[in-house]
Amino acid sequence: MSALTDSFRIAWIDMCFIRRNIATVLITCLVTPLLYLAAFGYGLGDGITMDGYDYISFMIPGVVALTTLTACVSSVATKVMLQRTYYQSFDELFLCSMSPSAIVLGKAYAGMARGLISCALLYAMGLLLTPDLHLTPSAVVLIVASCLTYGLLGVASGLLANSHLTLNLFNSLVVLPMTFLCGTVFSLDSLPGAIQDAILILPLTHSTECLRSAMLGTGVPWVSLAAMLIYMAAFYSLSVHLLTRSRR
Amino acid sequence: MKGDTVVSAKGLVKRFGDVTAVDGIDLDIREGEIFGFLGPNGAGKTTTIRMLTMMAPATSGTVEIQGRTVSGLSDPVKERIGIVQQHIALDRDVTVRENIRYHAILHRIPAKEAGRRMEELVGMMGLEPYLDRLVVNLSGGWKRRVAIVCALVHDPSILFLDEPTAGLDTQSRHMLWDLICRLNSDGRTIFITTHYMDEAEELCDRTAIIDHGRTVCIGTPAELMDSVGRWTVEYRDSGTKVCRYFPDWDGAIRFRDSLPAGPGVAIRATSLEDVFLEMTGRDVQATEEVRFRI
Repeated sequence: MSALTDSFRIAWIDMCFIRRNIATVLITCLVTPLLYLAAFGYGLGDGITMDGYDYISFMIPGVVALTTLTACVSSVATKVMLQRTYYQSFDELFLCSMSPSAIVLGKAYAGMARGLISCALLYAMGLLLTPDLHLTPSAVVLIVASCLTYGLLGVASGLLANSHLTLNLFNSLVVLPMTFLCGTVFSLDSLPGAIQDAILILPLTHSTECLRSAMLGTGVPWVSLAAMLIYMAAFYSLSVHLLTRSRR
Repeated sequence: MKGDTVVSAKGLVKRFGDVTAVDGIDLDIREGEIFGFLGPNGAGKTTTIRMLTMMAPATSGTVEIQGRTVSGLSDPVKERIGIVQQHIALDRDVTVRENIRYHAILHRIPAKEAGRRMEELVGMMGLEPYLDRLVVNLSGGWKRRVAIVCALVHDPSILFLDEPTAGLDTQSRHMLWDLICRLNSDGRTIFITTHYMDEAEELCDRTAIIDHGRTVCIGTPAELMDSVGRWTVEYRDSGTKVCRYFPDWDGAIRFRDSLPAGPGVAIRATSLEDVFLEMTGRDVQATEEVRFRI
């Protein structure tokens, strides 16, 4: 409980930044999903049905899942890397009696906040655009869980990276492939079996699967849900390990 | 002589791979004193301070703060210490007020108490006009003042200052010296690292000189100067400046009179800088080499 309370203390300064720069934050978080919606949803997908739904109903949950990734990872990773290597303000956290868990969670909340605000707007837009989408408690919980998962991934990558170059490499090799491959804008059923199996390794595939089911009101994909939780635990453990190791 | 030992380090060692940055340092810092930690760049000052404040774990050795052996990130004894790092470690994209409040929040200071402390410290530092400015827009001197307020907001009894005047202009340096004396007169123990000898001479009750990660000598500035000789005769030998040290004035006079008359021969009081050069006995080139290695 103490680590949880402390994590909110850690996050306080990032919330100040988001509050002051809310317009910039929203623009940077929403440009990518809105471009996806415009280009794929209305450009290519008009009139197409996928998995029994019209394309925009199929796609919006995918774009929400994508936003949990893009809005959370890069912002947290960049901030953590800068605070560690350039500003050295990250060291200040080691001077307070805070546990590694509190520091990791607190830093992940900054990405989570960005993701939640962006997803809320996209979800609301989706509810207005198509009657197939539903506002369900499970969808809300899954969006929160997904944002936390990718916030934690951001913390881990920020702790690993020592420069902008390394972060760009991470974005090119991890984030960018996930945005295109994980079934956010197309059904994985259309891909060959071997490629499908490879894509199932990526966490965004499972976030997309879970969010699509929850937002369209279909059954719970238990395997994907379990995979999401495993990724969340793995990113958390990795971040705590890296943080402990980073105290040199 | 000041009070009881409040910070004690025994056999402190820090290795980075096969490089030993700190090599078995023992220190006892007494309550209420200003303790100076002198050394050239790369000597191990910052690494030592990072271990003393638990920012970095020691490879071996122990640190005790007020009689308690400390370890781990969440040790509550950290609430008794404050540190101003060499690099100004503030969040640059938020305001001065938010930075100070953040440090109070991190140290779990109740809001009312934090407000009172902030008002008091901001007044002392003359930061009122800058409270709602973004840190990124402040000059180096003002950022340093904000960092000091942040380090003091939880009212620590021991304050670590890692090269606090590095890169500051003369006015800002003197302002900081006055401030350090004020903080010390409130009963705070202050540990200051510096490579400015005049700073140590001006401020410190006791100083230690560190070189190659080892303590070379320790004592009051007067004791250290006496240890090499109270008086210095400075002269040139084949164009190179040479210093000879003497415990008494008469000995210095006799030696000066034995030298061939010429410009550049002088007798003066020995300074801490003389002690430093005598103890470390090294030129700039060697210092650069150490810095590169570490």
